[in-house]
Amino acid sequence: MIELRYVLGGPQGGGLETTSEILSWAFSKSGYGVISDREYFSNIKGRHSYVHATVSATELPKHLSYPVDIVAAMDAETVFTHFNDLRDGGYLIYNSDDDSVNYAGIPSMEKDLRDRLGAQFKGLGLDGTVRSVVKYLQNSRKARVVALSFKELLMEIQKREGIVPSQASRYISTILVGAVAAITDINEESLDYSLRRRFTREDVYRHNKSMAQIVMGLVKGQFGSELKLEQPRISAREFLVASGNDAIAMAKIVAGVRFQAYYPITPAADESFTLEEYETLSGEGSLVVFQTEDELAAINAAIGAALTGVRSSVATSGPGFDLMVEGLGWAGQNEVPIVVTYYQRGGPSTGQPTRGGQSDLLSSVFASHGEYPRIVLASGDHEEAFYDAIDAFNYAEVFQVPVIHLVDKFLANTIATIPMPDLNNVRITRGTLAPKGLKVYKRFDLSSVISPRAFLGDYVMWYSGDEHDEYGHINEDPVNRINMFDKRMRKLDIMEKEIPEERRFSYFGPERPDILLIGWGFVKGVAVKAIDELNSEGMRVGYYHIRAFIPFPRESLTKLTKEVEANNLVAVEHNYMAQASRLVTMNTGIMINRSIVKYTGRPIYVHELVNAIKNMLKGSTREVISYGA
Amino acid sequence: MERKMKLTINDYKTDVWVDWCPGCGNFGILSAMYQALADLQLEPEKTVVVSGIGCSGKTPHFVNVTGVHTLHGRALPYAEGIKLANPGLTVVVNVGDGDLLGIGAAHFVALGRRNVDLVVIMHDNTVYGLTKGQASPTLTRNLQPKALPKPNIQDAVNPIGLAIASGYTFIARGYAARVQHLKELIKKAILHKGAAFIDVLQPCVTYDNIHTYDYYNKRVYDLQEEGWDPVAKSPEELPQKAAQALVKSYESDDRVPIGIFLVNPNVPTFEERYSQRLPNYLKIPPAREPIEVGGKPVISIEKFKDLFKKYVIELR
Ligand SMILES: Cc1ncc(C[n+]2csc(CCOP(=O)(O)OP(=O)(O)O)c2C)c(N)n1
Ligand code: SF4
Repeated sequence: MIELRYVLGGPQGGGLETTSEILSWAFSKSGYGVISDREYFSNIKGRHSYVHATVSATELPKHLSYPVDIVAAMDAETVFTHFNDLRDGGYLIYNSDDDSVNYAGIPSMEKDLRDRLGAQFKGLGLDGTVRSVVKYLQNSRKARVVALSFKELLMEIQKREGIVPSQASRYISTILVGAVAAITDINEESLDYSLRRRFTREDVYRHNKSMAQIVMGLVKGQFGSELKLEQPRISAREFLVASGNDAIAMAKIVAGVRFQAYYPITPAADESFTLEEYETLSGEGSLVVFQTEDELAAINAAIGAALTGVRSSVATSGPGFDLMVEGLGWAGQNEVPIVVTYYQRGGPSTGQPTRGGQSDLLSSVFASHGEYPRIVLASGDHEEAFYDAIDAFNYAEVFQVPVIHLVDKFLANTIATIPMPDLNNVRITRGTLAPKGLKVYKRFDLSSVISPRAFLGDYVMWYSGDEHDEYGHINEDPVNRINMFDKRMRKLDIMEKEIPEERRFSYFGPERPDILLIGWGFVKGVAVKAIDELNSEGMRVGYYHIRAFIPFPRESLTKLTKEVEANNLVAVEHNYMAQASRLVTMNTGIMINRSIVKYTGRPIYVHELVNAIKNMLKGSTREVISYGA
Repeated sequence: MERKMKLTINDYKTDVWVDWCPGCGNFGILSAMYQALADLQLEPEKTVVVSGIGCSGKTPHFVNVTGVHTLHGRALPYAEGIKLANPGLTVVVNVGDGDLLGIGAAHFVALGRRNVDLVVIMHDNTVYGLTKGQASPTLTRNLQPKALPKPNIQDAVNPIGLAIASGYTFIARGYAARVQHLKELIKKAILHKGAAFIDVLQPCVTYDNIHTYDYYNKRVYDLQEEGWDPVAKSPEELPQKAAQALVKSYESDDRVPIGIFLVNPNVPTFEERYSQRLPNYLKIPPAREPIEVGGKPVISIEKFKDLFKKYVIELR
């Protein structure tokens, strides 16, 4: 096997994250690439949550797909919710104490799912108990069933390690670890490394290790290790294993962020938490992480800070960004470098607070009254997000504009193996700064489009949200208006010239493809994998990845699309309108008439993208895909 | 830059025409500002006047120190961002009552809780001046200044009371026509370490025909002249002191107190709280810290790995 996929499920707050972390670390410690997406409700404890992962021996995976090789269930709800996700012959790990639990009696399950399951069970002639589903999987789908009595295992660990019964349930996450480790034959040293990393207290580590060993012994005795991965073929000496939130936080620190303001919102807040963890920058300086009373305060405090010369940013999501828009306009008017890291989630309104989406693109590009230049970057994966976060600060300062860095929940909460960043090529460019000792300083000096910046404290200067003169004083003169307006807007031309086209897109696939997919953000990983699969079946499919929307990669896209039949251009996006395709038209005049869209809040999976493209070949123009619990 | 001469009031004036209505209370506040800045000889580069939107919002353009004229209601977040990034600057905020207590009320409360070392001067004219005289949050119910088509249907907020409840550590009221008194309040507020709030009674001669100079002249009296000691000498003394100050803040119909209501020196400033967590914060604040060496990040790859070791997985 070169690729392993699994789903780990359980109640929110039940230790799933621990299971996922330990497995991810263990696999990556052995040299495999891992990506694991976390899906959860807007709930703290009790609702169904799951981790869906790909482990690869040949690459650092950026895609997810179904069906999976393993479904590991902490509870009965997971068995019901995910039994369809298991491939024929795959492994179901579950708690046999749940055998007689019936799907109809699970309060945390949404009624819609219950109704759908009810219909399906009726069709299959199942009585709706865990036992009936397990039997069905065994008989009709050739599943290998790892039935473990969690109760007995917990009693065993209590006995062996002298744990008090009330603490025993903490070890459920390790039961799943042990079972998955056994059937995939994880390297024992790597597993030990993970357990040590996760459980820093010696006794807790020992108890968990002991639990894992009990389970591994049991499972290995019954099953072989059919799901053993081949030796890894990834040449790396080290990885980062981090979520998108954490990768961006690390990048911001490299970029020299010294002020971040935020108001808590999922899925952005974790970034600020991580920054706060590193606020002392290990003793040298300080990074102020400022939790404000709301997003209005967050953006405006960050702008105020930016005026003093610090690299300053905010991290937010849709509802928060909406509140920030007025401030963004002030930054545009006053040519303030400010970075907004925008974690998209399902909208409108609070929409799907913990699910993913890409429906805020048009809002990012057009947000605000009035006209002013801004930069909009969009990252496709953790590695891109890392470098984009650094570029965002450089561009903000070089062009003296607000920069919106678009990412999404998929990236934010997905933990992935990331190559160790190459900091040798990272540059910090602060743009044009005013020299010291000037007699007069004009903040908005009209003799250049990008006036030299001075920081508050250096000179006397003025800022105003009103149209202003070169000093920053309010000015309503029509000629001044034109001069100031042109000065600001001409930055668009400068950005166009100075930000290389290659920086704004990437292309994957054959030259002159027959079909061209066009996408952005988290679509990247899955699209690249899907075209690989299709191309290995003899098709010629390419993927054009947009990595900057302002400035837009007009030339390359125009050139490439000319070579493809107009009807074979397909937008692939996580929104209803195929928003990026509209920006393509706006920027190039090219119409993209076909789209594959998903707006359930779950990521696009390889298998469904491949199917959707095949359907398009049969003539469909719009595919709405929806796989996933 | 070294400055040889003593700065005079004129050095703190810009040549921008002050376009307030003739007779506006704002002139008195501006005058007190010039004098306070000159008395304290504040360096123009190191002093920042931040404002929101409204007639009062124009103040920074008239003062020859750095000025940041921001958004309606948002002056405080800007000021906090500036101060926290560079605590070496003196930051004075000039805002309207609508700005501060209407659209910006959440920020007003939050600043009190934080006790950032800032001065907030509220131009309290009971109306929204620049949008032509609508009722502001400090206008009493049933009053009908001349621009209002109907008497005011909402109750007034008590700004001093709200400041006490929010945790401001210097709380005072001034009157635009008592420039010397106001100047002293501004100076004390600037010298105070922590969040200072001055509610300034500011006649709007164009829209408020009720709270006229005459109205205030008859009613204002100086708390200090009547022997009010505003200082809470210990944390234990605060509740009682604050309660008494609150009672004073409700005096209004016939007697309107001005002067210092409350000073609470027992609370650490926000900057001090940050310094507790960030040992170098005051020595090298965020705005003073290098982030690059020769165009490269100050964080080398070795440093990166060390800093973020919990994310690094080394393979054999
Ligand atoms: C978000 C927003 N809403 C409304 C306005 C319109 N506006 C301009 S000035 C003003 C009133 C200002 O009143 P106040 O804060 O009391 O200041 P004054 O003019 O009385 O000094 C308003 C509502 C605005 N600029 N921004
Ligand atoms: S409208 Fe009122 S507050 Fe505004 S300038 Fe005129 S008098 Fe002053």
